[in-house]
Amino acid sequence: MIRALLFLLASIISFDALAHHILGRPSYSLGDDSNTPPSMQVETQIGDFYVTYMVFPAFPQPGKQGRVNLYATRRDSGKTYDGQVTFTIRDDKWFGSHQEALGTQNIDDGVYRQGFLVKKAGKYLIQARFHSNGEPYTIDFPLRIGQVSSIGPIGIAAIVIFSVLLIVNIIQRKRLLRGKIQSAGRESN
Amino acid sequence: MVMTHPGLPDYLVYLNWVFMFLVSAWALYTRVPEKAVHKCIQLNRVPVLGGVVRFLNRSPWPLLLIKIVIVAVFITIIYAGLQGTPVPERNLATVLTWNLWWAGLIIAIFFLGSAWCAVCPWDAIATWLVRRRLWKRAGSNNSLNLKVPGWLRNVWPALLMFMALSWFELGAGVTVDPYATAMLSLAMVVMATVSLAIFENKAFCRYFCPVGRTVGFYSQLAPVELRPIDKAVCADCETLECYHGSDLVEPCPTSLVIGTLTQNTFCTSCGNCVQSCPEKNVSWNLRPQSVEVKQDARPHWDEAWFMLGLLALTSFHGITMLPFWFDSMSQLGGWIGDSGRLLFTFSAGMLLVILVPAGIYSLSAYWSYKWSGEVNHYRQVFSTLAFALLPLAFSYHIAHNLNHLVREPADWLSLFKNPLGAGMQPLSMDGKHERYMNMIVSQDTLSWIQAGLMLFGFWLAIQVVRYRGFAMYSETRLWVLPVIVFAVMMHGFNLWLMAQPMTMRM
Repeated sequence: MIRALLFLLASIISFDALAHHILGRPSYSLGDDSNTPPSMQVETQIGDFYVTYMVFPAFPQPGKQGRVNLYATRRDSGKTYDGQVTFTIRDDKWFGSHQEALGTQNIDDGVYRQGFLVKKAGKYLIQARFHSNGEPYTIDFPLRIGQVSSIGPIGIAAIVIFSVLLIVNIIQRKRLLRGKIQSAGRESN
Repeated sequence: MVMTHPGLPDYLVYLNWVFMFLVSAWALYTRVPEKAVHKCIQLNRVPVLGGVVRFLNRSPWPLLLIKIVIVAVFITIIYAGLQGTPVPERNLATVLTWNLWWAGLIIAIFFLGSAWCAVCPWDAIATWLVRRRLWKRAGSNNSLNLKVPGWLRNVWPALLMFMALSWFELGAGVTVDPYATAMLSLAMVVMATVSLAIFENKAFCRYFCPVGRTVGFYSQLAPVELRPIDKAVCADCETLECYHGSDLVEPCPTSLVIGTLTQNTFCTSCGNCVQSCPEKNVSWNLRPQSVEVKQDARPHWDEAWFMLGLLALTSFHGITMLPFWFDSMSQLGGWIGDSGRLLFTFSAGMLLVILVPAGIYSLSAYWSYKWSGEVNHYRQVFSTLAFALLPLAFSYHIAHNLNHLVREPADWLSLFKNPLGAGMQPLSMDGKHERYMNMIVSQDTLSWIQAGLMLFGFWLAIQVVRYRGFAMYSETRLWVLPVIVFAVMMHGFNLWLMAQPMTMRM
């Protein structure tokens, strides 16, 4: 209850805070300098840190070099994290996800830069890991390489609908048959 | 850098506050109103408009053609969402669904009532798949036609679905994710189809659909209604084609009998009753917008909670689009140890924002119940006076949505030419700024419309309290004061929301 009241109070007094994008949702931006390629950015919060992750280019293609920039700042002081960050990549699949190391990076001008080159189009997750005050931090970010086929959701929807309609049809046929047998039975009696 | 819409200017906010106090005082000291007698105009007798109404009602074909067009657009949305660019402002799925449809739908209800439900693509696809007919009445063999269990025959499921929709919209960020938008659209079609295949009539529309019920409740404030021309004809009717259907026309999808219909809540505007009535005794009417919410609609406990939920969730929409919300979420997330997308924190915040007005209204209704000498049951007081919440929610919802609709225009020509946004770059900040500056009405005009809507909503809320409250108990007028205070609080809060700069959506 006290926390709820504190939250309400914090809501009322924190007018001047900068707004964020929806946390964890990729947002795409094009720099006003036309030479800057479009980038994809995800902001998130983990423990004591705000983490911002940017992908260049915004739409990486299979077989082409891309780069991830990662910024981590403490939420309380705004101080930049300056330890090491380890990057790995894996398929964004429910089962049988294969993981590969991308590299371990030191901070360079306030940013952790990690290059990547993925040969196959698909959905991937880039994982960034670091330690601060003895606490491990692990963050997953989405990465889409090339055009991904989206037959899955339509297929699942179609299968669900088809299955339900089929089951209903079978039940109705049985009902009709039962009705016919019963009425035939009544007539013969 | 985050771009925001400017809020209402101070003088319009003060104008609303002055109006609020004057109207509240007037409501407490004016004489007790008698039951309002309203006159309706049959739409099919109105010049020009009547021709359009007669054309639409003459046969199922015009409606079917509109449905086919809307279903085609809907399928394009799903395809664009799944296959197109993930950049929300370049993909038809997100722009059409959230910037035009979801924002415009609420405004359309103000003029057309539940007309959207008549052409809803979720229901159209479900009907075609299950009934396997485009428009004629189908046999009963393709659905199990089970009765909806008693515990589901209310609007609680729709309220939960509406909360879930708001969670996806504001918490999970579906509005800026074309893929998730397409998935949500598919999910709605699946739910509508499964429901139609299992339950009798259109149970999804009546009990489960969050959009349909929102449209239905707000339609109580619409200027149009489907009603019998002569109630005596309906009273003598023994065949009830409106309820049972005819050889060619389906029965009422939400099981309404037109002769006893007094509210728009569950009417889907499909027009089946107009076509099936052998006496041609059903007509579209123009009516005063306040009449149904003031006296005609019947109070129900679950429906009162839905209206309360609508009010809380519309305010919640506004809160989440204020810049401070993000920072508050971040602080709260840090306190409770939430990480990542802070969805747990968001859910807690959402629940809190729903529970606070719900709790205050429950207390207000309780005090009113006590002050009225407990002559009515608490639930009756709660449910009856809850109709006052509807205009408060509706007026704020429209005023808020006008921001999205007017201030977030899209390049429709480009979007329809390239619905997938193939090869398109995200908008630069300059591009966004330029787009948002191209409002279709001036800033002042928009502010006056929004302030006027807020005034209208509050006026209507007070009228509801007067008509419904004093019809229940008229010995003293002060007993409705707690609910009037609640209306002032909620309206004042919504005004404050309207006066704040609002974060642009995409």
